[in-house]
Amino acid sequence: MREFEQSTLIVRAGDLWSQATKAQFLSAIRDGNLPQEAFSRWLAQDYLFARGATTFLAVTIAKTPRPAQKVLIWGLTALDLELDWFEENAQKRGLDLNVAPHQTCRRYVDFLVASAYSQPFEVLLAILYGAEVSYLCAWSALEATGPYAEFIHRWSNAQFVEYVRQLLRLCEQYPHADQQAQFNEVLRHERDFWRMTWEG
Amino acid sequence: MLHGLLWQLNSEITRRCLEHPFVRGLADGTLEREVFKRYVAQDAFFLRTFLRAYALAAAKSDDLEHVRLFHQLMAGVVDELKLHAGYAAKLGIDLGHVEPYPATSAYTNFLLRIAWHGSLAEIVAAMVPCMRLYTFLGSELSGSLRPEHPYEDWIKTYSSDDFRAPARQLESLLDNVAVDCPTGRDAYRYAMQCELDFFSAPMEVPP
Repeated sequence: MREFEQSTLIVRAGDLWSQATKAQFLSAIRDGNLPQEAFSRWLAQDYLFARGATTFLAVTIAKTPRPAQKVLIWGLTALDLELDWFEENAQKRGLDLNVAPHQTCRRYVDFLVASAYSQPFEVLLAILYGAEVSYLCAWSALEATGPYAEFIHRWSNAQFVEYVRQLLRLCEQYPHADQQAQFNEVLRHERDFWRMTWEG
Repeated sequence: MLHGLLWQLNSEITRRCLEHPFVRGLADGTLEREVFKRYVAQDAFFLRTFLRAYALAAAKSDDLEHVRLFHQLMAGVVDELKLHAGYAAKLGIDLGHVEPYPATSAYTNFLLRIAWHGSLAEIVAAMVPCMRLYTFLGSELSGSLRPEHPYEDWIKTYSSDDFRAPARQLESLLDNVAVDCPTGRDAYRYAMQCELDFFSAPMEVPP
C-alpha cells in the first residue's frame, strides 16, 4: 500500500492515518479471537454506513464534471452490490440489519451527506478517497484467510485497489485548498468508527 | 398536539439539560468565564447553520405563510447573533475563526443533512428542540436573576417574549406540517440529545 501511503494527503494527515487504519477489531480478526458481538455490531453499522455512503456518492456524482463521473459511477454500482452482499450475509448468519444507528455511525453519515450538499466536488473527491483508501489499507494489513477471509478479500482485492488508485488520481487532478482538512475529518470518523465496533 | 407529545417524550433529556452543571452555573452565576466564552463561540458557529436550515426549510415550503414565518425566524436568529457579537466584543472572543468541537459538528452536520435531504416536516422536527429547550431554560432560570448577575443578558434573552413567541410559532408549524412518525420522533430526540452534548463540550475542553 506504499503507493497510497506516500501520497500527500496521507503523509500530511500525520498520526491520524495510523489511528484510522489500525484497530483492535482488526487485530482480533488476525489473532482469531474476535468476539461475535463485535462482529455483529460491525456488520450492522457498516451496512448503515454503506447506505449513507450511497446517498453521499449519488449527490457527489451529480456535482462532478463528466470526465470524473465514470469512476464514481463504477463506485456507486459497487456500493449497490455491496449492500446486496451485506443483506445476504446478514441473512445467512441470522443477523438483524434493522438496528438503530450508533451515534458514531450517525455522525459519520451526517458528515458525509451534509458535505455532499455543501462542499465543492473537489473536496468531495478527497472525502470519498479518504473513506476508501483507509478501508483498503486497514483490511489489506490482514491475510485473507480464516473465517473472515471473504471480508478481508472484499476490501483488499486488485479491483478495489484500482478503484482507490483512480480516486487518488482524481484528487490530484482536481486539487482544492480544503481537501486536506476534510480528508483528515474522514480519518477521525474512521478512527471513531473502529473504536465503536470494538467498544460498543 | 404533536409538539406537546414530543416534548413529553423527551422530558428525561430536558431534565438533564436543566440539571447540567453548565446550566446550573449559568443560573447561579458561578459558570467559569472561559467556559462561557467557549460556549458562545460554538453557539455562534451553530447558529449560522441554524440560519441556513431555516433558509432551506423556506425553500421547501409551498405555503407563503410558512415562508413568511421562516423569514421572521431567520431575522430572530440574526438578532440572537447580535447577543453573541456583544459578548464577543465584551469578552474578547474571535467569532471569525471558530473551530467547531465534535459535539458542534455532530449537531450542525445533522441539521444540514436533514435540511438539504429531508422533508419540511423532518426539518421542523429537528429545529424545534433548540427553540423549545432555550425557552424552557430561560423561563426556569429567570427566577435566579439578581442585581449584577453575570449572565443576566443570556437569561433575559431566552426568557423574553421576543424569544418565546417564535418558539411557539415553530411548534405550531410542526403541528401543521408533521404527523407523529418514527423519523420525526427520531429527529426531535436526536436534536435534543445534541443540545445536551453541546452543554458538556465547553466544560470538557481544557482551557
